[in-house]
Amino acid sequence: MKQFIIIGNSAAGIACAEAIRQRDKESKIVVISDEDYPSYCRCLISYYLAGDVKEDKILYRPESFYKENNIELLLNKKVSRVDPKKNHIICEDKTQLSYDSLLIATGSTPKFPQMSGIKKRGVFGFRTIKDTKEIEGLLPVTKTACVLGGGLIGLKAAYALSKRKIEVKVIVKSKQVLSQMLDFEAASMLQKKLQENGIEIILGQDAAEVIGNGDIKAVKLDSGKAIGASLIIVGKGVEPNIDLIKDTEIKFNEGVIANNFLQTNIPNIYTAGDVCESFDMTQGKHTVNALWPVAIEQGKIAGCNIAGDNLNYDGSLAMNSIEFFGLPFISLGIYRTQAGDSSFEELKLMDPKINLYKKLILKDNVLIGAILVGDIKQSGIFLRLIRERIKVSSLKDRLLQENFGYPDIIDLIKEEKEKIYV
Amino acid sequence: MSIEKKSIDIATQEMLKKAQDESIKTAWDRLELQEPQCGFGQLGVCCTVCAMGPCRIDPFGEGAQVGVCGANADTIAARNLARKIAVGASAHSDHGRDVAHTLALVCEGHAHDYGILDVEKMKTLAQEFGIDISKSKEQIAKELSKKLLEEFGKQEGELVFCKRAPKKRQAMWRKLGITPRGIDREVVELLHTTTMGVDNDYKNIITTGMRCALSDGWGGSMIATDVQDIILGAPVPVRGKVNLGVLKENYVNIVVHGHEPVLSEMAVKASHDPELIKLAKEKGAEGINLAGICCTANEVLMRHGIPVAGNFLQQELAIITGAVEVMMVDVQCIMPALQEVASCFHTKLITTSPKARFPGVAHIEFQPENAYEVAKQIIKAGVENFSNRNKERVNIPKQEMDLVAGFTKEVVFQILGGRYRATYKPLNEAIISGRLRGLAGVVGCNNPKQTHDYFHTTLVKELIKHDVLVLQTGCSAIACAKQGLLVPEAAKEYAGKGLQEICEAVGIPPVLHLGSCVDNSRILTAASHIIEEGGLGEDLADIPAAGCAPEWMSEKAITIGFYFVASGVYTVFGASPFATLGSNNLTNYLTKDLEGIVGGRFEFCDDPLKMAELMISHIDKKRKALNLKPVMY
Amino acid sequence: MKQLYYDVKKCLGCKSCEITCSVAHSLTGELFKAINEEILSLPRKKVLSSQGKNYPVSCRHCKDPKCVDACMAAALVFDQAKGMVMHDETRCVGCWMCVMACPYGAVRPNIKAKIPVRCDKCKDKDEPACVKACPTGAIVWQEEILIEK
Repeated sequence: MKQFIIIGNSAAGIACAEAIRQRDKESKIVVISDEDYPSYCRCLISYYLAGDVKEDKILYRPESFYKENNIELLLNKKVSRVDPKKNHIICEDKTQLSYDSLLIATGSTPKFPQMSGIKKRGVFGFRTIKDTKEIEGLLPVTKTACVLGGGLIGLKAAYALSKRKIEVKVIVKSKQVLSQMLDFEAASMLQKKLQENGIEIILGQDAAEVIGNGDIKAVKLDSGKAIGASLIIVGKGVEPNIDLIKDTEIKFNEGVIANNFLQTNIPNIYTAGDVCESFDMTQGKHTVNALWPVAIEQGKIAGCNIAGDNLNYDGSLAMNSIEFFGLPFISLGIYRTQAGDSSFEELKLMDPKINLYKKLILKDNVLIGAILVGDIKQSGIFLRLIRERIKVSSLKDRLLQENFGYPDIIDLIKEEKEKIYV
Repeated sequence: MSIEKKSIDIATQEMLKKAQDESIKTAWDRLELQEPQCGFGQLGVCCTVCAMGPCRIDPFGEGAQVGVCGANADTIAARNLARKIAVGASAHSDHGRDVAHTLALVCEGHAHDYGILDVEKMKTLAQEFGIDISKSKEQIAKELSKKLLEEFGKQEGELVFCKRAPKKRQAMWRKLGITPRGIDREVVELLHTTTMGVDNDYKNIITTGMRCALSDGWGGSMIATDVQDIILGAPVPVRGKVNLGVLKENYVNIVVHGHEPVLSEMAVKASHDPELIKLAKEKGAEGINLAGICCTANEVLMRHGIPVAGNFLQQELAIITGAVEVMMVDVQCIMPALQEVASCFHTKLITTSPKARFPGVAHIEFQPENAYEVAKQIIKAGVENFSNRNKERVNIPKQEMDLVAGFTKEVVFQILGGRYRATYKPLNEAIISGRLRGLAGVVGCNNPKQTHDYFHTTLVKELIKHDVLVLQTGCSAIACAKQGLLVPEAAKEYAGKGLQEICEAVGIPPVLHLGSCVDNSRILTAASHIIEEGGLGEDLADIPAAGCAPEWMSEKAITIGFYFVASGVYTVFGASPFATLGSNNLTNYLTKDLEGIVGGRFEFCDDPLKMAELMISHIDKKRKALNLKPVMY
Repeated sequence: MKQLYYDVKKCLGCKSCEITCSVAHSLTGELFKAINEEILSLPRKKVLSSQGKNYPVSCRHCKDPKCVDACMAAALVFDQAKGMVMHDETRCVGCWMCVMACPYGAVRPNIKAKIPVRCDKCKDKDEPACVKACPTGAIVWQEEILIEK
């Protein structure tokens, strides 16, 4: 009987386990997690902190899931090393487990910038439920907080704190928020919305030092200005957890490198999720796209292949969806081009009065990226156009219309899985 | 839907069963096929005015909120409603024109079959037009008919009958600029405002609409009523019978259906023609039985006690009894379905008006000049058709009910005042003293969307229970008559104590039948007399009264509603609301704001007991405002 | 399992299905009241046009639903027994991942209600409301059939 080990109990890990179980009822599956918590919806922790979601709704799969699917779950166990030659993993507590196939879905960890005071009590990353509960514990004695970083994590944390009536200031090094997801125009609309709702954004400045004896008192910026705060949340990006393979022959770059079957260079070792560096179909090169739906898709395909299938993974792409105070933002693929680069074509629609912004980026008449603000209902169609690399030359004057939709692309689609039109 | 839910009238239920058994489709079946009806249409937010459309407003806010031209829901709904007012006014006023034209023909000697039957009324009318009544009868008639026809083409000034309204009401109309100037002019102007790119202000559209409605109520309809009284005779209280049971198995049954009594009067006359009766007997019948449907039935009922076979929704059912030889129709409320239904039997459908034809159906054109001849021709066709009747398929429901009809304003004078002092005083005193709580006008059509006759009868019973004297016209009156409410005996069974006392003292039913739908103008005139008599305020809006069209369907009902509201009456419309609900602004304007502007407003209600509650509460409010004593019982 | 199919030749684009769908999913379930509810119910299907043809677009309850994969709150699940994608409103946070993931654009966000608007085959009724509402019978409700393109 085969034994499959999945390191990671979140999106990629669960998707993989389910995919294997669908095809293979016999083999043993062991899921190992270094967290002391059943599988939960990581993306919901900001909603949980905000008070929008109760703890019982944060589980990704019910506790019965493992038993029902005959999966052994090992919590609170960190894998320190993978040994590809011996086909076994070694945990921190010295236990060893053998595998026929392995999935590395160890996710990533928040990056903490180098600065004095960053290790003080009261400075948190915002990734785990543990982080969230610790932050929550401090809220009753917190009046002001600082969020370092204007990325998704940072802004979501800021929203949550603001909802809990904490005065929050977001320190952003770049000239805009969400520089990894939005262009300047869209980011400006978001900044306006956030500021209108009491979240202060400080742009173009970086934190230089955390000040305080014992408890935090303030954050000093590189400009010299000090912002009073007793709680700091760091949202300055994440780095894939690749320590466990660093000294092995498994190839890695920023993340663990995956081929188009989601295998590493070792055939029986697969990788998926935030730790995985896969081919990005819009960028044309390998990158890490640390996004929930990407992790699910990768985990699924990895699981199918572990169970014996030979599914090809077309590649990942950036796909983000958030909403703040009633204004939704969606960003797909390549959302910003270099000024003056004529190989890209941009189609834009902007109506600031109603907070409407749509930007589509095409290359060789194929959609490779989009930003949608306000009216996001067609984002699924745009995502499809990107993924299936559909030539949109005949659609250019339709793409930005309010009533653009599925019927416009119906003749351009090669084959439809679910057919409903007779 | 079960047959019991379709109508409370047993005769109707029986015929619906027969239709079902014989696979004949009726209005109820056609309604089922139409359901669910278009939500945009129901809400009044579908606009088909111009070729840039058709446009619709998304009532849920996601889709288009304006048409191509930029009109929003308020404008679209108001324009749609205005067009309906114009059409309703056109129907009534055109009828009035035909009648006035007939009078002119009589004066010129071209319509020998008619005459001036009510000379007194003619003189009274002539005085209103400033004609010297010391002249000869013929001379007065001639001048009067000229002046009446002029009312239609007038461009400036005021319609003469507006002067019947209390001074305060006239002043209000003048101030609002809604005194009607000319009958045809108001319709044209209203239609003009509704075309693409004219009036976008829903309030202004309604104002123009009210003026057009007034040109019907105090114009076209009133002319129809009064001239009909002149040339056909004014009604007096008369006993009659109502419901499908009036059709007789051993007689030639002729049903007259439509609206203009210039035709049905001749039919009545022709049905007594000895030659035709002889012919009928030769064919094996015992005689000729004339019965009516809809308003023309009410007209001949009011004047001759002719039996009424049924109201609007029973028109097909009369044919379905299998016992109708001829159904002669003129204009309005005639279902195109009659052609199909008649073809299932031996029944001959005959159209008579050049304005109302059916493709392929026999047409014998009726003109006032050859009125009696044509009527005879049609009745003869019926007599000759008697032998084609399939006796196996005949099933006439036994239900027929007595009723008393024929109440006009003059009659009310006479009855309530006594012969020597014809006056409204007793009526006013009854209201002032509290023996009568007030008055209610319950009028209007039938609609298969509601249980047939249920709303009319439930509402009227509730009103008379609370000592409200009910005045009725049209299909509503027929509905209540069928349930036995239009006889004096009904007072004892259904009326409150105060109303009972009056009915007993005077010998009237608690529910008074005033005639056809154009005879709603009788209510306006009566109300004016009530104010004139004194003690109940100075304006029509002061009278403790309310109106209701519980089962309405026709555009004419909308116009009637508007002329009542514009005359200061609180008017409730039943279960099918106006198609205005897609515009909150317009709906609020009609149901709230108008009261502060014209003293009357609309109310939409879909439950008859609630309707009664609303009307009674309004009547009580008016009583309080007049500082009247509390209701006696 | 019954599914909704659309005869494009018969679709007139009148949008009666949309208005009926809104009403069917409103609080009061009656047209005249539904239009005045505080949070307006949005139609679960939208009729869109292209090249002179009209297509009602609504959730197809895919066997391998992309929206279920994308849902980061596990609010969407494919129910094998019912043959449809089920949405648990109590878990939904209105993140709009499902809107982003649907390859048919069949899910729309109701920003005010913070709920994705998606067809649920009128699961609490005998048949979807749109079927009866279509005046030309373009909406067909029947057991799954295989359609050749």
